Amino acid sequence: MALTLPRELNDWLERGLDRQLRLAVTGLSQAGKTAFLTSLVNQLRHAGMDAQLALLPCAREGRLLGARRVNQPDLSIPRFPYDEALAALGSTPPQWPAPTRGISELRLSIRYRSRTGTSRLFGEQRTLTLDLIDYPGEWLLDLPLLAQSYPEWCERMERLMTERRRRYSTAFLDAVAGLDPAATADEQQLAELTEHYGRALHSARHEGGYTFVQPGRFLLPGELAGAPVLQFFPLPGVTGERAAELDRLPADSVYQTLAQRFEHYKRTVVRPFYRDHFRRFDRQIILVDVLSALNAGPDVFDDLRQALATLMQSFDYGRRSLLSRLFNPRIDRLALAATKADHVTPEQHPALLSLIEALLAEPIRDLRYLDIPVRPFSLASVRATEFREVEHDGQRQPALRGTTLTGEEVLMFPGEVPASLPDADFWRRQGFTFRGFRPQALPDDGALPHIRLDAVLDWLLGDRLQ
Amino acid sequence: MSDPRPGQHFEIPAEGAPDHRRDRTPAFTRLDPVPGRHFPLESTSRPLAPEAAETPAESALDRALAHPRKRRWGLLGVLGGSLTLGAVQAVEGVREAWLGGDWLSGAWSVVGFTAVGMAGMALGRELVRLRHLRRHVRLREAVEDDTVSDGHGNALELCERLRSQMGLDRDDPHWQAFVSARQAHHDNRETRLLFAHHVLAPRDAKARALITRMSGETAVMVAVSPLTLVDMALMAWRNLRLVDRLAAIYGLELGYSSRLALFRAVLANMAFAGASEVVSEAGMDLLSMNLAERLSTRTAQGLSSGLLTARLGVRAMRMLRPMPFARDEAPRIADLRRQLWQQLKRVDAQGRQE
Repeated sequence: MALTLPRELNDWLERGLDRQLRLAVTGLSQAGKTAFLTSLVNQLRHAGMDAQLALLPCAREGRLLGARRVNQPDLSIPRFPYDEALAALGSTPPQWPAPTRGISELRLSIRYRSRTGTSRLFGEQRTLTLDLIDYPGEWLLDLPLLAQSYPEWCERMERLMTERRRRYSTAFLDAVAGLDPAATADEQQLAELTEHYGRALHSARHEGGYTFVQPGRFLLPGELAGAPVLQFFPLPGVTGERAAELDRLPADSVYQTLAQRFEHYKRTVVRPFYRDHFRRFDRQIILVDVLSALNAGPDVFDDLRQALATLMQSFDYGRRSLLSRLFNPRIDRLALAATKADHVTPEQHPALLSLIEALLAEPIRDLRYLDIPVRPFSLASVRATEFREVEHDGQRQPALRGTTLTGEEVLMFPGEVPASLPDADFWRRQGFTFRGFRPQALPDDGALPHIRLDAVLDWLLGDRLQ
Repeated sequence: MSDPRPGQHFEIPAEGAPDHRRDRTPAFTRLDPVPGRHFPLESTSRPLAPEAAETPAESALDRALAHPRKRRWGLLGVLGGSLTLGAVQAVEGVREAWLGGDWLSGAWSVVGFTAVGMAGMALGRELVRLRHLRRHVRLREAVEDDTVSDGHGNALELCERLRSQMGLDRDDPHWQAFVSARQAHHDNRETRLLFAHHVLAPRDAKARALITRMSGETAVMVAVSPLTLVDMALMAWRNLRLVDRLAAIYGLELGYSSRLALFRAVLANMAFAGASEVVSEAGMDLLSMNLAERLSTRTAQGLSSGLLTARLGVRAMRMLRPMPFARDEAPRIADLRRQLWQQLKRVDAQGRQE
């Protein structure tokens, strides 16, 4: 405690002077958080030398001096594995960084020359401290649980069960159908059903492509694997009147046991996660893998829309002032990024932007109401393909050249991106098949190629780098 | 009077028919996104670049709104006619002198012919330069129209046109910097931003420095000149010179008539667009005038004429810059005023000492 106090005071001072920012990198699993963080560190490290940061005014004007990783505030949390991620990108053949399995933190100290000459007091070079955290995207969807009670959660889960999704949960649904909520809880039976539920979530996520998967720890339990706190599941058919009826059941009944465990999960797992990492953000970027959702079809797309809308309710948005900066930081600027923009040809980027705006229409309305600036971006943190133009059948056509995940080198036009979600009829006829690509070989100078990461950085940090 | 058109039925393509991907019925049916396709690896491909330059079609509305084209055919006819006749007469004179052995009149004819030739060339040059100016104005209008679009595509081609209009080579370092910073995925807005930064910003800085220097010089000259008539001549000369040099910075060569045309446009622009500027800056101007009252009358006059030159320079710069300024990079008089003030105070102090 004695050691952390001076550090906290220092942080407080830095925040007061507005030289410290916490950036929330938000994205569900596989949305590209680790790639984004790796590329961000890489670009800022190479700024002013060989990084392509033409759209970041501070770098364009030659005022950005570079960045360095410094000791993070909380020493009990692992450091973000930047070197490992870069090693994966630099291996032969190049690979994407491994999916994140736990929380890690990163503190970057960005040095720049101030444009206004009025800063005699602080010297001409200034420092901006940027705090970032990386975490498994699966856990992110636990945050909305905090606002729900057990019966509400059951109801929500039941509403999510579309016809297509039901296919992945047949085993669980069959098994749970025979369970009487009023019966005395049997440990063994609950553990078995939990097993079924976990498997259903797994296949919905990995085979079906669904993102709205709760609770997230079932997919990636971390140190909690097998603990009773993870032994609960939603009961079907818990609606309004039924819930009140079930509420009067004795404490050792199945229903009450599950409800208790749900509350316990919220209290001991979700709340600390939220308290330690998800309050106190100043800026936010939401990474969305729109293309994969398009590949998976309308059901998954709608599921993603719901997941993101629910998720964004867990963050505090609002205008900044000195007081709010010190005592109650809120997100005052937001970037929506459609990731993997290098997987489509550049003339499709406007469509990608309107698609992500359509996907997040509901939260954007709320943000507009709060007067928070929001901008959509088409982003590729680490660029995997090269844009070409093909002469085919006498017509010129933009195309991509890259290596697919299976190692096959291709030259292709990946297809058009719709500017809004197509109707059901279209899905029956055509659908989408956007291919995945593996990263390009790491360039000699070590600066990762990217698309529009500089513009995103300008939007998120530009006003602090004046 | 024709009847209203009756209703009409269109055939709906059968379910599952292969060829209704592109529905050709009414314009409001949505086209399906084109599916992906593969190409053989060895097919010819090249780095992605936008289509070749195409001059944008002038819309009827633009044509209707534009200034009526005033071609002074009469003046041109008289000038051209007299030049031709003069040339013919001179040649005729030389022939007669050759035949008659009258060398003196022959020499005069040769001199006359040379004079006519030079006048013709000057006229031709004027016309060409006027055309350049007109093209510049048109291109600028095109750029201004284009600034609304955020889409993907034609900005690079527009920048290419601007480059040739500004008379830059392909290996000009500024242009090279722009080309190397620009990538295929940059959209129109981003491309314009990069062009402004790499190609225009160095010229803007030069133009700004020029305006500061010349307005300061004008102020000092007017302050020390003894006669009002001299003041007027000075102002006219300095201002024309300023516009001329500004045009040269942005790659525009001015002839006599194009200079006058531009100058007139700048003045009109000042009178027209100046109203709002005057309102916003009147306070500062008045303040400087109050300060000026404490100086001698001559210095006050110098200050006001310096300010006028500066304002004219800024206006001219705004008109000559091939791309409109972004919101916060436009030059402002306020920045120039202080420097002007310093310069004059020095002159005034010196004057009082003497």
